[in-house]
Amino acid sequence: MEEKLEANEMIIHLGPQHPMQPGPFRLNLRLKGETVVGADIELGFIHKGIEKILENKTYLQGITIVDRVCYLVALVNEECFIGCAEKLLGIEPPARAQYIRVILEELTRIQSHLLGTGEFGEFIGFVSMFMYTIREREDILSLIDMITGARITHSYLKFGGVRDDLPEGFKERAIPILNKVKKAVDDFDQMFHSDRIFRERTVGVGVLTADAAKSLGVSGPVLRATGVPFDIRKNEPYLVYKDLDFKVCTETAGDCFARVQVRLNEIRESIYIIEQCLDQIPDGPLFPEGTPYGRRTPVMRVPAGEVFHRVEDPRGEMGMYMISDGSDKPYRVKIRGPYYPTLQALPPLIIGTTVADVASISGSMDGCTSEADR
Amino acid sequence: MVLKNIKYAIRNITRPPVTRMYPEKPTELSDRFRGLQKLDKSKCIGCGICANTCPNVAIKIVKAPIAPGSEKKRWFPEIDIGHCLFCGLCIDQCPKDALTSGKEYTKGLVKWKHKDLLIGPDKLAREVDLDEGDEK
Amino acid sequence: MVIEIPEFIVPFLPWIRGTIGLSLVGLIFIGAMGAVWLERKLSANIQSRMGPCRVGKYGLLQLVADAIKLFTKEDLRPLNADKLLFNNAPIFIMASVFLVLVAIPVGAVFINGTEYPLAVTEMDISVLYIEAMSAISIFGIFMVAYGSNNKYSLLGAFRNFARMVGYEVPLGITVVSVAVMTGSLDIVEISRAQGLIWNIFLQPIGFFVFFVAIMADMGRLPFDQNESEEELIAGWITEYCGMRFGLSYFAEYMHMILGSFLIALLFLGGWNVPAFVANNAVLGLIAPTGFLLVKVVFVIMVIIGLRWAIPRFRIDQVVDLSWKRLFPLALLNLVWAVGLGLYLGA
Repeated sequence: MEEKLEANEMIIHLGPQHPMQPGPFRLNLRLKGETVVGADIELGFIHKGIEKILENKTYLQGITIVDRVCYLVALVNEECFIGCAEKLLGIEPPARAQYIRVILEELTRIQSHLLGTGEFGEFIGFVSMFMYTIREREDILSLIDMITGARITHSYLKFGGVRDDLPEGFKERAIPILNKVKKAVDDFDQMFHSDRIFRERTVGVGVLTADAAKSLGVSGPVLRATGVPFDIRKNEPYLVYKDLDFKVCTETAGDCFARVQVRLNEIRESIYIIEQCLDQIPDGPLFPEGTPYGRRTPVMRVPAGEVFHRVEDPRGEMGMYMISDGSDKPYRVKIRGPYYPTLQALPPLIIGTTVADVASISGSMDGCTSEADR
Repeated sequence: MVLKNIKYAIRNITRPPVTRMYPEKPTELSDRFRGLQKLDKSKCIGCGICANTCPNVAIKIVKAPIAPGSEKKRWFPEIDIGHCLFCGLCIDQCPKDALTSGKEYTKGLVKWKHKDLLIGPDKLAREVDLDEGDEK
Repeated sequence: MVIEIPEFIVPFLPWIRGTIGLSLVGLIFIGAMGAVWLERKLSANIQSRMGPCRVGKYGLLQLVADAIKLFTKEDLRPLNADKLLFNNAPIFIMASVFLVLVAIPVGAVFINGTEYPLAVTEMDISVLYIEAMSAISIFGIFMVAYGSNNKYSLLGAFRNFARMVGYEVPLGITVVSVAVMTGSLDIVEISRAQGLIWNIFLQPIGFFVFFVAIMADMGRLPFDQNESEEELIAGWITEYCGMRFGLSYFAEYMHMILGSFLIALLFLGGWNVPAFVANNAVLGLIAPTGFLLVKVVFVIMVIIGLRWAIPRFRIDQVVDLSWKRLFPLALLNLVWAVGLGLYLGA
């Protein structure tokens, strides 16, 4: 980008402060008129140093820190961290706790996809879409609030189980709300399908091929929209996903429209999973019997070892590589976030399109820059 | 062509707004909402586990009288609300269940100076009203 | 055709026209404030929230508070901005609005059965004049966008030109087809000749083309690429602060009000009322103007609602739409209008 500019070219920064970004990053565009001929990304504006902080906090304190890697999907981050530690400790939460964890993570997935779809509508000029999806998201957040006590950064999961049981009357409260969300998602789907302006802005725009996606390490709805049926909940099941019946949503086109479709279908699948969980959930203890692990976590010295655990984040595959040296603080935690590779797929896609398409493509990636920078 | 959008917009006009007028109507809190902690002085033994557990080092153990107007002093926690995350780890780890979660989140917690944010054991035990000491 | 005026008023006519003109200038500012208030309340309704509700009852004084705020802000100018263009652009934009305002009749009064339209001037070619003057605002927008020395504004300027070039043509053709059917270019005449059968029923395609073209002319979504907030921060007025921004912002809403007046006068029957209302003494004074204003408010609400209900086009799709779809439809409408005019005339 530092080479000499030709006669009609100019460099424009979709800079760290821009109304259309989900978080601060700088996108340098080299424009010729309105067409993009070069693009470059710079990250690091929201680097918090989480991996370094985790080396100085005990495992229990680390749960509250890991919450904040991506604050929208805090429970999935906690699941990844606690999954690593449980593998090293050699304990497994009992069935009821696993079902509660699955319910919470699917609720998180629904609200994250609703927000992503709303933001995408906003980036192409349909500002009211954001308000429509936020209205539905409020009900889901109130469900999560009923269980965990907070709407964001919950710090609810513990080693070996969950902190509190489901409250009384949760199922009666949840089923009507889930039906309402299902109907709303059908409405959004119809609106996207029949709107001619929307189809013109998204069909055929930003096509990502399956080979390019696989070589860059992209995962999540972006990969599934190119036709690759890769979902960690099916390929490497954790918790009780092997007992649940759901399908992996894929589309073949690989453009922005396909990505939005995949997200809307995933919301429907998540609602189906939650309904199954609420039917199948067994009674039982919340923590493994006969171990000192409970709501009051004992003094924990994790045995030395290395482990890698990955979960299905709403944005892709999130993994954590934990090295423990036998003390009560981890030696090193390396976080592999799902949005960083997806962001690397952005510059090749936008070369040759116009500025308006940049907003559309980067919005359909549905990112959270906070976890790209950590 | 764009009729579905317009129909949805018109249908939304007929629904009431979801905005809650904040100062007139307070926020609806869930049952498990974590607000300012509540201390039970009869159960607290001053062990300091809550101070060790806090991720942000917000709790300090200080000497305070066991009841208003008493001579005998014991060690009790003092919480720095400016640093507290309201994560609830101190409540979980207390061996005697002396700390529980209250529901206050703005009353008496909005101050001008940092030294006013150090909520002492008498306020935590609700012996003194939280608004006391507020400059009007 | 000029209306006959009683003899004793003739020496005072310039003063009367001047007074009407000045009061219209004041009224249009208040009208723009009302339009902004209506937009904020209507968009809030569509989005399930409340608009302004704290300043004054129903938030009516919110715009007054905003105007006071804009007056007290610091007037910044970027270092390398072109002084002449940057400072004088609001003059062009406002001038375009006021020049159009001169020729549009805002209503009529019926005294003793004769009709006096409330317009500052009545010209024989007022429709042509209105369209020519409304094109001056393009210069104002380009002056701002180019003189700001800001890349985002520059992109907004390019898009603005591309859009305006494409949409002036169908707009002109549709207006000409209405004039051809009526047989005159005077807007008062066109409005009166509709009687009780409005032009929207006689030329539905023309109404559709005119509506889309005038929404593009006004720069309202889905055609607001030059100020699209998501891509270009604020487009052409990125660098404006304080009252300059206020003037440009209000000018857009005044333009919207004038466009709605045009739609109501050319296609929706203007101020025509049935004969028994016109002959009534009291109703003849208020009903025609009131009827016209009701229609204008309804058109404004439709335009505002469309902004918040549908997404935005890309600029090449906008140009595509105008040349490949609206232009043939406008020509088709012209042929239809000529045929209809001959049939009705015969």
